[in-house]
Amino acid sequence: MLLGLFFAVIAGLLVGLQNIFNTRVNDHAGTWSTTALVLGLGFLASMTLGLVFEGTELFALHNMKTWFWFSGLIGVGVVVCLVQGTKLLGPTFAISIVLTSQLGSALLWDSAGWFGLEKIPFTAQQLAGVLVIIGGVIVFKFGGVSKEKREVRKVKTHMKQQTAGR
Amino acid sequence: MKGILFAFLAGTFITLQGVANARISQDIGSWQAATITQLTGFIAALLIVLIVKDKKWKQFKQVRPIYLTGGSFAAVVIYGNIYGIHSIGVTLTIAVILISQLSITFLIDGKGWFGVMKKEMKLPQFIGIAMMIAGVVILKF
Repeated sequence: MLLGLFFAVIAGLLVGLQNIFNTRVNDHAGTWSTTALVLGLGFLASMTLGLVFEGTELFALHNMKTWFWFSGLIGVGVVVCLVQGTKLLGPTFAISIVLTSQLGSALLWDSAGWFGLEKIPFTAQQLAGVLVIIGGVIVFKFGGVSKEKREVRKVKTHMKQQTAGR
Repeated sequence: MKGILFAFLAGTFITLQGVANARISQDIGSWQAATITQLTGFIAALLIVLIVKDKKWKQFKQVRPIYLTGGSFAAVVIYGNIYGIHSIGVTLTIAVILISQLSITFLIDGKGWFGVMKKEMKLPQFIGIAMMIAGVVILKF
């Protein structure tokens, strides 16, 4: 359990860092070139680490099923939806919904146990936990922003008053 | 409304991706799952680059080399995600990843590292992170 938490923390740190790096690339190279680069490097890194830890066993795909080859397409769906959502809603609102929907579908998945993953029974306590986390996400994303805007508006109004009629 | 739908689907797909990787890893192993999903995703993205005749990859040389390496982190991210889902479940894994991700972003924003525009760290963000951690505690203990 502790090792699971540890790996989740590491994964989160790297996702945060990766997002910042990828945004830098995206600023110059656009969505699709960036996505291709990111996934290509991810593939090379996964293969390298796989070879380091498992040697040529990496290529012995014993129980391969056809759909495994297509799961990578979900990543393309993620990119399309993220880009469109952010374009239409702006980053703060879009990311708040993305995170909320991530948590909601995770809870759904745990309680349904689809795909033969271990089922974790749904409880009111779990729902409460997820709702508090979502509340935290909203406070994190929106907190302080509206105040900033209000300050800007105040300054703008003040400037208008000062410049009016001159 | 369309924007909300896209954002909602993006979140669902991110979770689905983790779950699919966890499921695939049961049959062929974690590194194999990471390698295959990234390979097929890469091929799809490359096809899109070719189809839309995107020539912007030529701009890669204008980006500081270190930023180009971000993609390679995914190997450890996917491994960690799979390990987490198997050992502590989807909800807890996603929740912990989110907290850790938002915290590092918050820290980088606050310090202005990696050329990020420096943002002042404010109380609401600390409260937000505290609430998220409280949520995880409620979720699990």
